[in-house]
Amino acid sequence: MATNSNLNLAPPLVEFGKFEDLVTTGQTISSTVSPADNSFAVFMKNLVRSLPSGVDHHDGEDEQPIYFASRQAVPSSERRLFLTDTLLIFTAFRNLLKSAPNRESNWVQSDAFVGMTRKLAIDYVNFIKECWVHASQPIPRPGGLQYSSDHYRSLYTCFSLFVVLFLPEPGDEGAPLADELVEWLNTHFIEPSTEEGDSLSALDKPWEDEIFWPYLTRAILRGLSKASLFFLGALQQHPSDNLQRLTSTLIPLIETQPRLVNFAAEKDFAYAMRRWSDKVKALRIDMDRVPENDRFDEFDNWWDRLGDIVGILEGRSEVLQRVCEELGADWKEICVAWSVFVDPRLRRQDLPDVVAQVISELPPDPTDKEDMIHAALFSGQAVEALQHACQLDPWLSAHLADLMESLELVDSCLDEDSSLSLRDEYILTYADYLHSDPALWRVTVDYMYSCGDVGKSRGDEILLRVPLQLHEQNSDVKVNSRIRAGEIVGVLKDVNATCLEYQRENVRRTVCRIAAQTLVSDKDYGLAISYCLSAEDWRGVGRIVDSVLDEYITGGRQKFTQYALAIAPSVQELRTQVGIHGVFVHRLVFAVRFARFHELLDKEAHQDAASDLIAIFSEDIAPTSWWAIVLCDSIPLLRHNPKLLFSSSGASLLLHKLEEIFICTSQGAGDDYLLGLTRMIQAKDEKEALERLKAVRLALAHYFARCLVLDTDRLP
Amino acid sequence: MAAATVSDSVPIETAHEDMIHDAQLDYYGKRLATCSSDRTVKVFDVIDGETQRSPGHTLKGHTGPVWQVAWAHPKYGHILASCSYDGKVLIWKEQQGQGNASGGWIKIKEHTLHTASVNSVSWAPHELGAILACASSDGKVSVLTFKNDGQWDADIFTGHAIGCNAVSWAPAVLPGSLITPQQTPAPGQPPASQTPIKRFASAGCDNLVKIWGYRDQSWVEEETLEGHTDWVRDVAWAPNIGLPRSYIATASQDKTVLIWAKDTPTSPWVKTALDPSSTIVSPTGAPPQAGKFPDVVWRVSWSLAGNLLAVSCGDGKVTLWKENLKGIWECVSDMSS
Repeated sequence: MATNSNLNLAPPLVEFGKFEDLVTTGQTISSTVSPADNSFAVFMKNLVRSLPSGVDHHDGEDEQPIYFASRQAVPSSERRLFLTDTLLIFTAFRNLLKSAPNRESNWVQSDAFVGMTRKLAIDYVNFIKECWVHASQPIPRPGGLQYSSDHYRSLYTCFSLFVVLFLPEPGDEGAPLADELVEWLNTHFIEPSTEEGDSLSALDKPWEDEIFWPYLTRAILRGLSKASLFFLGALQQHPSDNLQRLTSTLIPLIETQPRLVNFAAEKDFAYAMRRWSDKVKALRIDMDRVPENDRFDEFDNWWDRLGDIVGILEGRSEVLQRVCEELGADWKEICVAWSVFVDPRLRRQDLPDVVAQVISELPPDPTDKEDMIHAALFSGQAVEALQHACQLDPWLSAHLADLMESLELVDSCLDEDSSLSLRDEYILTYADYLHSDPALWRVTVDYMYSCGDVGKSRGDEILLRVPLQLHEQNSDVKVNSRIRAGEIVGVLKDVNATCLEYQRENVRRTVCRIAAQTLVSDKDYGLAISYCLSAEDWRGVGRIVDSVLDEYITGGRQKFTQYALAIAPSVQELRTQVGIHGVFVHRLVFAVRFARFHELLDKEAHQDAASDLIAIFSEDIAPTSWWAIVLCDSIPLLRHNPKLLFSSSGASLLLHKLEEIFICTSQGAGDDYLLGLTRMIQAKDEKEALERLKAVRLALAHYFARCLVLDTDRLP
Repeated sequence: MAAATVSDSVPIETAHEDMIHDAQLDYYGKRLATCSSDRTVKVFDVIDGETQRSPGHTLKGHTGPVWQVAWAHPKYGHILASCSYDGKVLIWKEQQGQGNASGGWIKIKEHTLHTASVNSVSWAPHELGAILACASSDGKVSVLTFKNDGQWDADIFTGHAIGCNAVSWAPAVLPGSLITPQQTPAPGQPPASQTPIKRFASAGCDNLVKIWGYRDQSWVEEETLEGHTDWVRDVAWAPNIGLPRSYIATASQDKTVLIWAKDTPTSPWVKTALDPSSTIVSPTGAPPQAGKFPDVVWRVSWSLAGNLLAVSCGDGKVTLWKENLKGIWECVSDMSS
């Protein structure tokens, strides 16, 4: 991970070679980190803070561009598919681990667990294989592939090797692993080539071709018995009787080479192996009897060539190593052949010793990351394997580390300095790569939240900054109506669900507050208030209520009624919650009641409107600053004809409130009582507002007069 | 990672008439605010590294070069602060227009208590409220607090007598703590689980970094970090990334970047200098001294996760630093034009 990398901007800010000039003119570059992804905004800046009149004030016609540069290439289509598909397996494995506490204590060591882990690891292998096959197809791709099919092939060989070495079938951990290694090698590194086989099989005397013996040797080395037997059969036509005879002994040996898979018990396999080796030894003795002068034909020293093959079958390591080197085989092939011929009972735990011996002679290619990963895995060095894997692809190191930790191949304890486990370190490196594409935020946080505290905090930062796109949504008519119905939709719904899933309550609340703020500026008060309630942001609720009430003063009663009725459902919700008090609840209740009053006025339900008006005062829910406004709104009801809408006590209550305003204003508390009305009628001063209130007094006087004339306490 | 990656970057034309001094992306990385010697602040929409067709907004109000801009947390609305050579800090708010459109920016506050150039502005973590810290060449630091009634409170005090260059807030939540939502706090009361601490660091021309805490209704100097031998140009407090440790990065005229780490709230700050000598080739060809950058270091900024530090040096390069598993800071990438 310590690779140093240069990031050059294209197009360049400065012409090549002119960089020095830039620095000497006192300019440099500066940058700012983007919270959305892994990009930087880069711009030119003066070293010395110049003043417009300063000496280095430069030409105003210069362009002042800003560049965006990213640390990683954003995953393109095929890569994205791979990343999102493999998340499914990752999630399945997390769920498997999550279920562990509910099971018996050592479940993670149990065969059942290992079996399920193996199944999921094989799923990864299959997904990689599919991606490799897909990337190998010669279909036209605009823009080409971001990662070549060869890259996926590398992932395929590495991951499948990991499964072979560390996730055997439960019960096979202690068994010899030669068969599995051979299968892995033959699947991924095909030798000898099919073309060579085809060209040789077309010949009458294939041994006359120079590739004949190397081909035959490698086919035997790889356990490719069909091809081996075919060409051994061809040797039956060789002019040398000795070779014919030896071949006829060799053919049944190749046919009957014992394989563990054919035995019920390893003991039986070992016994069969010993008997088979005795037969090979007999063949060697037979070979030595061939006279020197019959050991070669016109083309080759067949005796030496056959001797190499028999030497391999005898399990002579020096022969194996020499022959492999001559064939151009690498350390892997030697190790695999070793497990077949030199030590057929080689077990997983003994493999690293063999590998160490082989690679001391024939080391892996340090420039080939794939080869280095193979070597580390063969050597049982999980930590090294992860380091190399991370260089090849952070995807690989993350998913290997995830499995390795649960298999206890790497330490799960936290590093003292970073507070991260090795697994978390690699998972977060991968998640950081995912963050290069902000659209992959869901995947990014899934990985981050699978980690400890550090990862969780990083996930929070990502989740908090997912653009909610409330504006975009609201312009969609269909979606809009669903939002009006109080439904959370779109990105906000996803973010909310993710917070709940991972129990990130703090994040959820902050996101709700941001959403509420946006909605308030859109005057979508109903939804804004429900987000505030969801975030338990009582101050926010208070501010929204104030904004709604303000609409009456600045926007008029129709708008106010519409907005206030939108927040009405929240009153119900608040009432069902115990223990919530506060001024804001009062104001909220008032706003809704006042709106209902206006709605009744609009419907000309005068009697109900009058009762509501009285209730607003008698229940004392109107803030004092609103009394004057409410009283002014009572005028049409007081003047209503022919019915008298208020009881005399009701009318007295209105008069009482009116007097309080006049008295308190005269005592200097006018601000408390008249601020709303003053703003609404855009009065110059208190006096003007009081003038307006005199109309209420007059209406009340008329009303009382009418009560007297009609001589009745109340007309319903 | 390839040794030299060419990043296809799309230049965004800012139309500033003079040098840009600062560029800041908003909370979501969707908008870019820039400020310049041409006395203006500009705001652009950025989508996939490109500006939208709309020309952006130009915010005019300063009478001198504008040094820095800072975006407030979106829960307070679209709010931007700018500071200038004219000694003023202006707070701008975007008005909501029809539908998706912006209704333009208006100035909602003019902070004029400083008597010299204001060099840096920084918003506090949103949990603390809408609070802005400002650093000025008059030697003072001021803290503006937006109150519920729409008024602003201002505290102003001497920070570094000969001049303050930068301010940076500590994260509001102490490392390791999580919210406990079982108890519903009373309305208007802060959650009972913990009271966030108001704390920030300032960088001065006196070569010092000071840490200020709000205690008993006033700002007190809690700690002084000594280590630089010349003006401290920038300070950046790392976000809380779940570590038990706090980090502060400082950049100085003395060509060094120091990382200050504090293991627990009671332990002392321990400083480490970034060592660019192994990775950076100085433009003059001479190998720089160990622990020194080739030129003055102007800016330090942390990534969101706090795991990556970007350092802008006077040699025209931006380098990215990361603490490796062994606790050593290494340069992971550098960018040059």
